[in-house]
Amino acid sequence: MSTTIDPPVATTAPPVQHTGRFGAVLNAVAPFAKIGMIVGGVLSVLGAFLPWVTFVLNEGAYPERASLNMFVEPFGVSGFRLHITLLGIAAIVIALLTVPAKHRIVRGLGIGVAAVALLNGIWITVEGGGLGAITAADGTIAFGAIVALIGGLVTVLAATSGGLEARPEWEWELPWWVEWILLLVIFALVLLLVAEVLTSGGQGGVVNPYAGVVFLSLLAALSGALSALSASGLLTWVGVVSERHRVFSVVVLLLCALALPFTGAGTEYWMTVASNIGVYAATAIGLNIVVGLAGLLDLGYVAFLGIGAFTAANLSGAAASAVGIHLPFLLVMVISAVVAGIFGAIVGSPTLRVRGDYLAIVTLAFGEIFVRSAQNNIAGLTGGANAIPNIPPVGVGGFQFNDSITIGALRLPSGVMYYVAIVLLVAFVMLVFGNLKNSRLGRAWIAIREDEDAASAMGIRTGPIKILAFLIGAMLAGLAGAFFAHKTAVVAYDSFRFLESVTLLAAVILGGMGTIPGAVLGASILFVLPEKLREFADYRLLLFGLALILIMRFRPQGIIADKHRKAELADDDPEDVAREGPGALPTEVK
Amino acid sequence: MSESTELPPELEAPPEEVKAELADDMHIATGTREPILEAAGVTMQFGGLRALNEVTMSLKEGEVIGLIGPNGAGKTTFFNCLTGLYTPTSGAVTLRGKPMPQDPSRVTEAGVARTFQNIRLFPSMTAMENVLVGRHVRMKQGPVSSLLHGPRFRRSEAEARDRAEKLLAFVGLTRFSEELARNLPYGDQRRLEIARALATDPSVLLLDEPTAGMNAQETEATRQLIFAIRDLGVSVVVIEHDTKFIFTLCDRVLVLVQGELLVEGTPDEVRGDPRVVEAYLGAPPEEIEAQLHTTEGES
Repeated sequence: MSTTIDPPVATTAPPVQHTGRFGAVLNAVAPFAKIGMIVGGVLSVLGAFLPWVTFVLNEGAYPERASLNMFVEPFGVSGFRLHITLLGIAAIVIALLTVPAKHRIVRGLGIGVAAVALLNGIWITVEGGGLGAITAADGTIAFGAIVALIGGLVTVLAATSGGLEARPEWEWELPWWVEWILLLVIFALVLLLVAEVLTSGGQGGVVNPYAGVVFLSLLAALSGALSALSASGLLTWVGVVSERHRVFSVVVLLLCALALPFTGAGTEYWMTVASNIGVYAATAIGLNIVVGLAGLLDLGYVAFLGIGAFTAANLSGAAASAVGIHLPFLLVMVISAVVAGIFGAIVGSPTLRVRGDYLAIVTLAFGEIFVRSAQNNIAGLTGGANAIPNIPPVGVGGFQFNDSITIGALRLPSGVMYYVAIVLLVAFVMLVFGNLKNSRLGRAWIAIREDEDAASAMGIRTGPIKILAFLIGAMLAGLAGAFFAHKTAVVAYDSFRFLESVTLLAAVILGGMGTIPGAVLGASILFVLPEKLREFADYRLLLFGLALILIMRFRPQGIIADKHRKAELADDDPEDVAREGPGALPTEVK
Repeated sequence: MSESTELPPELEAPPEEVKAELADDMHIATGTREPILEAAGVTMQFGGLRALNEVTMSLKEGEVIGLIGPNGAGKTTFFNCLTGLYTPTSGAVTLRGKPMPQDPSRVTEAGVARTFQNIRLFPSMTAMENVLVGRHVRMKQGPVSSLLHGPRFRRSEAEARDRAEKLLAFVGLTRFSEELARNLPYGDQRRLEIARALATDPSVLLLDEPTAGMNAQETEATRQLIFAIRDLGVSVVVIEHDTKFIFTLCDRVLVLVQGELLVEGTPDEVRGDPRVVEAYLGAPPEEIEAQLHTTEGES
């Protein structure tokens, strides 16, 4: 009931002495930190309102939501201009206020502005064929991108020079019903945000070349806003509150996920995209058991998704399948999981003998063996180059899962039932992961990851436990595979190449190893991006590589960090060490 | 003597009620004082190097044995033979008359726990989780029950947590229970490692240099802790360099030199034995001095 405001940070901190490479610069700027943040914010807003491009791009003006022709539509401040404006104003306001961790918050906002400006600036430059596109050409001038970028950078520099504070830890406890309402509102907002992000820029491809950049720009703006929120300690607080009402949060989140078809994302196309994300998210969570918990690198993991899919395809009654039987979908799922699990145990068995890099090579080889076997139509089970087409949709009674649904006046597009099914499947997989992680088995996996010899000295039979990790991970992928087969109606060997394994692994690492939201987020980003960036298909791997390098450099624990991993990798962040350093007494809010 | 140093409250010996509760939970002591862990003629050969030669040891219930010797004497090799990490070239290790299994996890299951010379905690797990991993071998949770989190699972989990809390209180780390192991001060990491080993309900605990790198206070606290562990009914074997620590702690002391068991006896016997002094410190000072004088005289 009590509302205690207890920020551990003194707001009147003494001037910070910066050391390191940019120490001298930061110390010189430090006295002007506040004015610098305001100037940066003003420049950002100014940049947002200046023209950004000297001519209409070849593919036409930016789509309405991110219009470059703002002065044609005087009231249409939308898209990335709106984002920069909001971030800039927020930076100015917070620079003027006295709030805990204000420099860290403003830095987050500045990073957001700079990222959005840079992204759009580069895009226009590349599309427009040179720097003239964003500066001056044919008597027209457009310095919006450059001014906004400078604004963002000035904000970041000034905020950093002011000294970055530790994140405050709020200990507010509100009446339970207030917290419930709060969580409900927050999760509903998250749902709308997810729908907005998913549909932002529209469907990618030749018809809509701006889909990718609008999507990325929104992501950049969001990550700036989120890092500011996280710096303010509010995100952590919401996490603590939702932990306090665990069951309620889980139920509301599930309902929110099921409500996605009622938002702007409720079209057949987005439902299909969302279902595919679901398939890969479930698979990524399975992989997370093997890689994130047990610490066993698996480079051929997508093979288990393939085994599940081919098993389901053969039991679906499809004309091309070798086994001419048709079993109920739920039974097919169980069989697919079991078959994938058996293969998982077989692949896992070398872990008794080989460790680390050598295991990675073994799993890589297994992945290749699977793809080649499937390509050669081994035992007539995979259809080879012809694939297994025309897999019938899942049906319950007379109802087919790919039918559209009409509830009263509301007509939901086809594919919604698949979406609902995959949400439930992902929820189930999350439950499996969460329960296992917090059990004797999960602790044994983590112990093996940390120190295998010490684990075995604690009485853990490392061999069987490691095989179990492979087995359970493979079963989850098998479940997802059975779903995948029915949803896409075609199972072909080239859906399960090495590249897919790498992407899954990247999803797990990008999102945050060992966490559920991390795997889901990573899978979402990595499997939405190709949809949005169709015309960049050739550069897909390059972009992945770049993203991974950046993540490893700046946030090695992944976007959503496991509390364990976070501490393990926090060494190079001096503030974090000061906070969680040796001998630090536990002060965290529980 | 310096051993009677005043200890800060967090390093004091475990409170009696915690000890009583733990002893009750673990009920290891049978009160028979019979030999538990026996090594008979253990020889370990690495290629041409004979690291251990015919070492024999017998550990009785509730006894604390010290194992000392200069560097390279084969102490850790002997430990590894006892815990199944190495298979002795010849000779036998038996636990309560049964041959010791040749696999570390089975050795632990049989009731022999150990700590490591260089601390090997699970660094990014909390102190509590480290101890819970120690409970692994005594918990009855299959994969299915881990998955379903049914009433039996919750009971076993609650029991394990309860025991882990008691163990953390026993070693004086309650205040760190939610802290990551890697963030604990050095001395506390050693204590946590002992708590983790005790979580496996061992009848024999093998400590490999438990006071390495500790100051006088921490060493004293460790001695009190080992006495308390003995009072639980756990038999203890300690490897140490610090002879003073060993002589004031152990019921019996074994001296290993170059893989051979040189002397075995009570601390007083071993301390007085000229062979030990020579092996450990080289020749007595008078002799060195005498030699120095003769060389001076000659030059």
